[in-house]
Amino acid sequence: MNVIVKQICASGLALFYGAWCAPGAQAYSFGMIVPDVRQPAAISGGSACPTRTHRLTATGSIAVRWSTALNTSPVTILTQNQTASGRLTEIEQVIAQSLAVWTGVSGTTLVPSTVAPLTRTATQNACGPDGLNSICFDQADMAFTPGVLAFTRVITTDRLGIQVGSSAVSTQLGQILDADIYFNPNDSNTAYATPQALAANPKAYDLESLLTHELGHFLGFSHSAVWSAIMFPFAPAPGTFSGARPTTLQPDALLGDDDRTGLRVLYPDPADTVHLGVISGRILPANPLALPASPPGVTGVFGAQVAAVDASTGAVVGATIGGWSCTASGPAQFDGTYEIDGLAIGHSYNVYVEALNGAVDPSQFDNAIVSLCRNTVSDAGWPPLQGCVVPAVDISFTARTRPGP
Amino acid sequence: MSFVQRRRFLWILFLTGLALLAIAATATTLSRLRFEELANQATAVARVRCIGMESRWQGAEIWTETQFEIVEVNKGLLPGVISVRMLGGQIGNLHSRIEGAPTFRAGEEAYVFLWGHEGEPFRVLGWSQGTFRISRDARTGVERVTQDSSAAPVFDPRTRQFRHSGIRNLPVAIFQLKLRKALEERTP
Repeated sequence: MNVIVKQICASGLALFYGAWCAPGAQAYSFGMIVPDVRQPAAISGGSACPTRTHRLTATGSIAVRWSTALNTSPVTILTQNQTASGRLTEIEQVIAQSLAVWTGVSGTTLVPSTVAPLTRTATQNACGPDGLNSICFDQADMAFTPGVLAFTRVITTDRLGIQVGSSAVSTQLGQILDADIYFNPNDSNTAYATPQALAANPKAYDLESLLTHELGHFLGFSHSAVWSAIMFPFAPAPGTFSGARPTTLQPDALLGDDDRTGLRVLYPDPADTVHLGVISGRILPANPLALPASPPGVTGVFGAQVAAVDASTGAVVGATIGGWSCTASGPAQFDGTYEIDGLAIGHSYNVYVEALNGAVDPSQFDNAIVSLCRNTVSDAGWPPLQGCVVPAVDISFTARTRPGP
Repeated sequence: MSFVQRRRFLWILFLTGLALLAIAATATTLSRLRFEELANQATAVARVRCIGMESRWQGAEIWTETQFEIVEVNKGLLPGVISVRMLGGQIGNLHSRIEGAPTFRAGEEAYVFLWGHEGEPFRVLGWSQGTFRISRDARTGVERVTQDSSAAPVFDPRTRQFRHSGIRNLPVAIFQLKLRKALEERTP
């Protein structure tokens, strides 16, 4: 089975893309949401095309607070400074630095001034759907089991005019209203160390790497299938960290190129004249009869992983989950379409593809896919013409990549 | 170097690579649990069929309780129907999501490694790591098992190739053998 190939395109392929409304499978690795088209078009947009979950980026629009309540038995957050105030300062520096990793990426509207100054709260259980973005290190329960280190719970809405707690009222579809980051406080085998304390605690996880990953979810990212990306679900082993430590000259050093490209797609800067390249195409089966018969209308390989590699540096500059497109009133069409945006122009890229040929339904394990369709079964009263069913993928494919226009 | 020596050398290289991979594969959200650890730490292990789910506000959060009919119990004592609770879900126009938390559809079958305390709804141990979905080939009828956390291929920029890991497309009969072995070998 499988696939693929190298091929290339896009030397100086400078196609402008229309951010939010661009057709094509730009799932990258973002959380997606289908607007509630049962509502009037004025508040739902009238289209059942999946929309990326995202933040507003106006100055000061992202406020984050963190709970200074830390577990003492066992101690789960390890710092170099052992004084009470010194510990908090050191942890706060990590949070600020992890946020700066994301706001340090060039070519996006997510800039340092987007994030309001960090605030503290002494409340232990500060995380909850209250409209306040919080980070908690000692909040009990929350569905933790052995093996779960940390997670981010994101609340989004599928229509305009909704708020959660004290959040802003949603003015954009897919707007994130509240996101909280939880660290497991109860596992005696698990600890997290600040960068200063990591060397002395080689069995601890790097707090900065974990937090930066979780902040990716906080901003709307799903997971990435690229090994070197911070959004790859599996982080470095205890005692080590992802990428390189951020510096003043390179505040986003912790990220992989795939993360940077994703951020440029999610928060595109209209003034960016560099990252305008697009590679797009369709992933088609060599044998069309191999396409699933149910649900009807599947005309291309769905759920394939597509990665663009810079031909000169070998860096993975972008990766996405392809296989669908959407136009006008929707719903998503499973026609094998993929699109990788935000690529630097003037470069050559090799494209690698692999069909997701597992015998499982990919809709079950990734928020980037699970939310592409709604229908009368999932949502009572859903308009049938705007409903769809995410197809299962269970066949081996051979695919070719054709040069773009 | 003889053929046998070469083969032995390649096997050592291969196994060393696997060991390094296991060490490196520690999750941001999840820490890697080996299959034997999952079997050892699970309160119960069962093949289940999803019969429905419901999201509701509870303790100021949106939780989803999924009801499962027990098809086969492999570890622990379970009633005929169990409830598994996971954070997240949809209520009205609000969607609460957590990457890596398993969700299920009515009619779907899976082996789940359950974890919990008496009197509480179960949780899925290690989330996507403790979820092994079963699919049936429409033509041959063969059932296969795939672990959620291993279903997607991973692109390795160093080798420029996609890789697969974990349990993927394993015939149910072989999965059962593996499970039985892991349960028998579990630490007392």
